[in-house]
Amino acid sequence: MNSTGLAPTPLAAVPVGPGRATALGLALLALAVLGLGLGASVGSTGLDSVLNARHDPVAWQIVWDIRLPRTLGAWLAGALLGLSGAVAQGLFRNPLADPFLLGSASGAALAVALAFAALGVSGMVSGSSGAALAQAASPALARLGLTGAAFVGALGGVLLTLVLAQGVQQTLRLLLAGVVVGYVLGAVRELVQLAQPDVLQAMQGFTLGITGFVGWSACAVMVAVLLPLLLAAWLLARVLDALTLGEDTARSLGLPLAPLRALLIAVLALGTGTAVAQTGLIGFVGLVAPHLARGLARSTHGPLVLLSTLTGGLLLMAADIAARLVIAPQELPVGVLTSVLGGLYLLWLMRQRTRAGRRA
Amino acid sequence: MNTAALATRLTGARIGAQPILHAIELHLAPGRWVAVVGPNGAGKSTLLRVLAGLLPGDGQVWLQGRPLADWPARARAAQLAWLGQAEGGADDLLTEDVAMLGRLPHRPWLAPPGAADHVAVEQALHATQAGELRGRRLGELSGGERQRVLLARALAVQAPVLLMDEPLAHLDPPHQADWIAIARAHAAAGGLVVSVLHELGVALQADELVIVRAGHVTHHGPCASPITHQALGAAFDHRVTVHPVAGQWVALPRVPQPETSHAD
Amino acid sequence: MTRRLLALLLLWAWACAAQAYDITDDTGHVTRFATPPARIVSVLPSLTETVCALGACERLVAVDRYSNWPAAVRRLPQVGGGLDPSVEAIAALKPDLVLMATSSRAGVRLRALGLKVLQLEPRTGADVRRVVVTLGRALGVAGAEALLQRIDADVADAANALPASARGLRVYFEVSPAPHAAGRGSFIGELMHRLGLVNVIGPEQGPFPRINPEYVVRAAPDLIMASQRSLIDMARRPGWAGMAALREQRTCGFDAEQRDVLVRAGPRIAEGARLMVQCVRQHLDKR
Repeated sequence: MNSTGLAPTPLAAVPVGPGRATALGLALLALAVLGLGLGASVGSTGLDSVLNARHDPVAWQIVWDIRLPRTLGAWLAGALLGLSGAVAQGLFRNPLADPFLLGSASGAALAVALAFAALGVSGMVSGSSGAALAQAASPALARLGLTGAAFVGALGGVLLTLVLAQGVQQTLRLLLAGVVVGYVLGAVRELVQLAQPDVLQAMQGFTLGITGFVGWSACAVMVAVLLPLLLAAWLLARVLDALTLGEDTARSLGLPLAPLRALLIAVLALGTGTAVAQTGLIGFVGLVAPHLARGLARSTHGPLVLLSTLTGGLLLMAADIAARLVIAPQELPVGVLTSVLGGLYLLWLMRQRTRAGRRA
Repeated sequence: MNTAALATRLTGARIGAQPILHAIELHLAPGRWVAVVGPNGAGKSTLLRVLAGLLPGDGQVWLQGRPLADWPARARAAQLAWLGQAEGGADDLLTEDVAMLGRLPHRPWLAPPGAADHVAVEQALHATQAGELRGRRLGELSGGERQRVLLARALAVQAPVLLMDEPLAHLDPPHQADWIAIARAHAAAGGLVVSVLHELGVALQADELVIVRAGHVTHHGPCASPITHQALGAAFDHRVTVHPVAGQWVALPRVPQPETSHAD
Repeated sequence: MTRRLLALLLLWAWACAAQAYDITDDTGHVTRFATPPARIVSVLPSLTETVCALGACERLVAVDRYSNWPAAVRRLPQVGGGLDPSVEAIAALKPDLVLMATSSRAGVRLRALGLKVLQLEPRTGADVRRVVVTLGRALGVAGAEALLQRIDADVADAANALPASARGLRVYFEVSPAPHAAGRGSFIGELMHRLGLVNVIGPEQGPFPRINPEYVVRAAPDLIMASQRSLIDMARRPGWAGMAALREQRTCGFDAEQRDVLVRAGPRIAEGARLMVQCVRQHLDKR
């Protein structure tokens, strides 16, 4: 019992230690594999496809080329968002930081709109139109593709937010700056869409949060981005830990804050940009995954970043499976489900905090 | 200059556009505990931050005889430990993890904590009586307990120079006494402790007193000297007097006497 | 014997190759067909209607949730919307051809799965003609030209049904409450032109511009055409209550079914023209 006689908060009941974090990580991985299996069995054609996969080439295609990459893709996109969320919350020392709130989503959307406008919707969407490429001001840009454009845009949006907020010290200013940047970049995007109606249509398709269009090549892109980002975030976790004590202390401990922070922001932007490029705007995952991970196993940022990645992946994969299952053979939009799941969890969290506050 | 563990010669220091410090020259020798006192808003914290290299001042700061800017970041961090005022955040970290953060200047980038690190953390936790708080998260601790853990973090660095801004915040008298013992032991071992304090009674236990007023250092001298005591009184507009009590110097506020106006 | 077989084989292969044809869609993709497609999925209502108008309705195996004409189509399985079709549902149907709009991301995915996809999105009158002809060729049916002639004749009839006093009537056609209007370059605008009506939206604004509401007030149209839902709140827009057309109730509110006819650039544009004529006559008689 501490000296002021306060009862410990309910969350203190969670046992702590690296052992628990490892156990949790393994459990999340196991659940992910299970989820993959479930995802391969769920869809508009139900279990039939799995049962007939051996002798029916269409059923095989459905299970192997459609359901599996989609389920894996949902996990990968969720993992990228969970990773970005953990980095954002650690970097800005604010549990409300969501990668989308800091201008990354609006920046990515604007960059994609500009790319559509410059290179022609067909060229970007179908990825091969020779005519569109010939029109392109820069063929190199065309090769960069949606993911590249989204990354550059996400990076630009976050940097703009930081410049407006004049650093990361004041969290209120940071969040306000994020809102402002969101509005401003959104307005610029509207201008682009007005100028070219083609772009408006294409953007509607782009920003809609859909996991259903992810194929094996999209999965490959996401894996190629996730692994180095995860490694970078894990190596930089030490910076996040030191930052929790304040900037002055972190600097006094000998950490070169400026370049390391820049790297972390790049991780944040690339993670968000890649996820947005493949699956559109899916909210809540980046915000809730780190909270969930922290609620299940408190630890320093090294394990937290890994756990948040695994949690985010599981969350979006579960939402994708539920989207296909709930009103089968029809599908719900996955963004609706993440909002429901995420919203419910945050409500529960609020009640926990209020109850703890009342007890004290 | 060469004997000073920490020295500075400043023409001024600003926060934003606001000038806080003016011309200051200070030499602090090793093996001492130096207390920095002064009225509110005098610039004590700013001075400490300039000495720690956290705030650029117009002038030079020397650490162990070398200009601060010449020190590589990790080497400097291993020489100079800092404990700031009211450090927020870190609510989710465990006590021992917070203390282990103090070992960052000594650990190679990717390595897990080594034996030397664990020993240092143990010693630091023991010294601040924070060993019993092991396994608890920083967010659930009371103000005093939290302060002891943060102090342990600073001690875990095992740096010869310790700079602390208001280290006694929330600490009850027994733990304040513990802290004094730590500061004295550190100085006796050859290190330098510089602490900004507003508890004048504790400040007068130190070896040297630096009095800051309106951005200037108005006095720097031994705590036992009567000149220092007079300077202290002057710095606070003579509303403070220093008296010896039970072998220690105590600063008492001069309370205005009530007027005798009763008709009784 | 083997030489004969070889000759027959070669003849058969040449015949097949001669039958094969290429179709280029609106994104520039070239799709090769060995035989006309027999199982078609369409996720754009105007394309669904065009397929049926060309007489190939029985070849449709699935549509999107918005395709609702002709009635037979409503009995078909629905595979989602135009922007978010269910890839699995479409693949499970083993279609020979999938029809969709140019702006959908699903096209890339479906092509990657080996399905034939034609992305067509008609927005102007010329687009409608081109889509009808392209689909006619793709489906291997002969009725494309006849259909176009029938549509033209019907539009001409509708134009004739308008009395001369209606010529030059200034009309504002609202497509959505944003407000998005039908400009002169859109197929709706072209129909209005053929009917002798004047579109208040100038040609410089593009086919479906999002306009400044003030523009409409200044333009002071004689007649407003919009959906019933838009009309309910229209008078509340700042400055609009003062417009002569709203004050004197010179408005036409189209219900959901009529809206479907009017905004789809498909084979029913003549019916859309008739609806517009009906609207104009309603208000001419009032005068």
